[in-house]
Amino acid sequence: MDFSESELEKLSRLCRIELRSDEKMRLRENLSKILSYIEQLKALELEGVAPCNHVLPQLKNVLREDRAQETLSREEFLKNAPQHIGGMIRVPPVIRMEE
Amino acid sequence: MDTALAYKERFVRGEMKATEIVEKQLSFIKEHDPKIGAFLSLLEERALKKAQLLDAKRRENKPLGKLAGIPIAIKDNMHIRGEITTCGSRFLTNYQAPFDATVVRLMEEEDALLIGKTNLDEFAMGSSTENSAFHPTKNPWNLMCSPGGSSGGSAAAVAARFCPLALGSDTGGSIRQPAAFCGLVGFKPTYGRVSRFGLVAFGSSLDQIGPLAANVKDAALLLEVMGQHCDKDSTSLPLPPANYLAELQGSLQGKKIGVPWSFLSSLRDPVASNFKEALGLLKELGLSLIDVDIPILKNSIAVYYILSTAEASTNLARFDGIRYGLRSQKAQTLSEIYDLSRDEGFGDEVKNRILLGTFVLSSGYKEAFYKKGQQARTLFIEEFRSAFTLCDLIALPTAPSAAFELGTFHTPLEMYLQDIFTTPANLAGLPAVSLLSGFSSDKKPLGLQLLGPQLHDAEVLRVASAFEEALGLCSASPSLEAKP
Repeated sequence: MDFSESELEKLSRLCRIELRSDEKMRLRENLSKILSYIEQLKALELEGVAPCNHVLPQLKNVLREDRAQETLSREEFLKNAPQHIGGMIRVPPVIRMEE
Repeated sequence: MDTALAYKERFVRGEMKATEIVEKQLSFIKEHDPKIGAFLSLLEERALKKAQLLDAKRRENKPLGKLAGIPIAIKDNMHIRGEITTCGSRFLTNYQAPFDATVVRLMEEEDALLIGKTNLDEFAMGSSTENSAFHPTKNPWNLMCSPGGSSGGSAAAVAARFCPLALGSDTGGSIRQPAAFCGLVGFKPTYGRVSRFGLVAFGSSLDQIGPLAANVKDAALLLEVMGQHCDKDSTSLPLPPANYLAELQGSLQGKKIGVPWSFLSSLRDPVASNFKEALGLLKELGLSLIDVDIPILKNSIAVYYILSTAEASTNLARFDGIRYGLRSQKAQTLSEIYDLSRDEGFGDEVKNRILLGTFVLSSGYKEAFYKKGQQARTLFIEEFRSAFTLCDLIALPTAPSAAFELGTFHTPLEMYLQDIFTTPANLAGLPAVSLLSGFSSDKKPLGLQLLGPQLHDAEVLRVASAFEEALGLCSASPSLEAKP
């Protein structure tokens, strides 16, 4: 299966990665090769086979009691934030005032 | 090679203080790791502090933990509170873990000396450790070769005698293949046996933490400590801990080993002849060999790379440059923070997999790829289940070759095909061990893999232990003085 440039563009938007022009060609080639390989699944007889979501049949709807526990403090959390201000994560303005 | 239990014995008997153990190992690592590249960081201060506490505990005759005095390295995709977790990625170069992984807590409660964090393929995606954003790791047996991956740093650290035990994570063979390439024991427990809390997720339904060790006993010891139910991981099995060490003893009489011969027709030397010799040795131990048919195995790579990349693409969506990790300096808008940070922060292979995973989940292709992959996974589970009605364990080689030279594979697909024998255990959630089965003519270690039914971890280790003892090679270790 060949992977077109427009398909790569669409995927790049879906996974929120801005691809550099120098890597596009290589990524397209890689993906085309892998897709051709995994297309072997088309030959499998899978009619009526249930899809597997989980390999442990004994675990279902694992719930625990709702109880108060210690959580990460704001200070600790912000230690890893790339930018923060006034105890909050800083990001560029999302909504701008009209001129 | 010194075993973990030998370290513990020296400490418990008072032949060596914990501080002396840590100092000696750290200075050995500093002397030799520059040519291997096993570590991304050393936990010097932490290890010495723990060692002092441990020495005091011993002086005061307080009870000592199961891992007392044993230096242990940890793959750098598991969190130790207050230490950096990079995942081998530029994205997390400065990420300081705010909590301990459950395995870290359990090991420290048993008095382990955590000495460093080891190199890996970025986010554990790779089979050679060449995809680390920082540096490749070299195989201590042959510095031209890869130690395997993605837990290549952990395997190299144990093979180089930097520490007798290390933790790896295994999504498609990332503990077992490096163990085979470095002449070690590598064990992937039953899915759900060891808590994944604090392991940075790659393929959540496939990932499992396990030990890399010099011998089966040491691996059993570490599994005994780590194999506990954890309420912070919803896939952790609600089972009491098992006594894996004690269960290594026991008769093998009447046990049957299944070999899926039709899947192995393309095996080449040295793996082919070594695998046959290993089977011969199992027979000498009183085990009988039978042929089993598991036709779905030929689709392992296709199914694995559909499901693991789909899971990876969703797991790695959290790396958005907002809350932690790298934020592109070039970004002016919120959208650019996402798009540019992810381009700058992720390496080639991670991008390959996020793109592939997003593709197989995308509208129009999901039915043809992701759903088919999930259906095929059901066949893996069913075909293994029916094979295990005929035999107790299944034997396979761990990898199609001995350690390959760094730079051997030029496309991702060529590298993916190296995982042909290891991915089935992850797809079916089975326990599987790789252990040293001999050497190639150019003195590279080779590995035998044994797989068991879910929750038969102890049985897998018991047969492995008997094999190891009969082979009598587990004291072998490479010379670090040798020139590449």
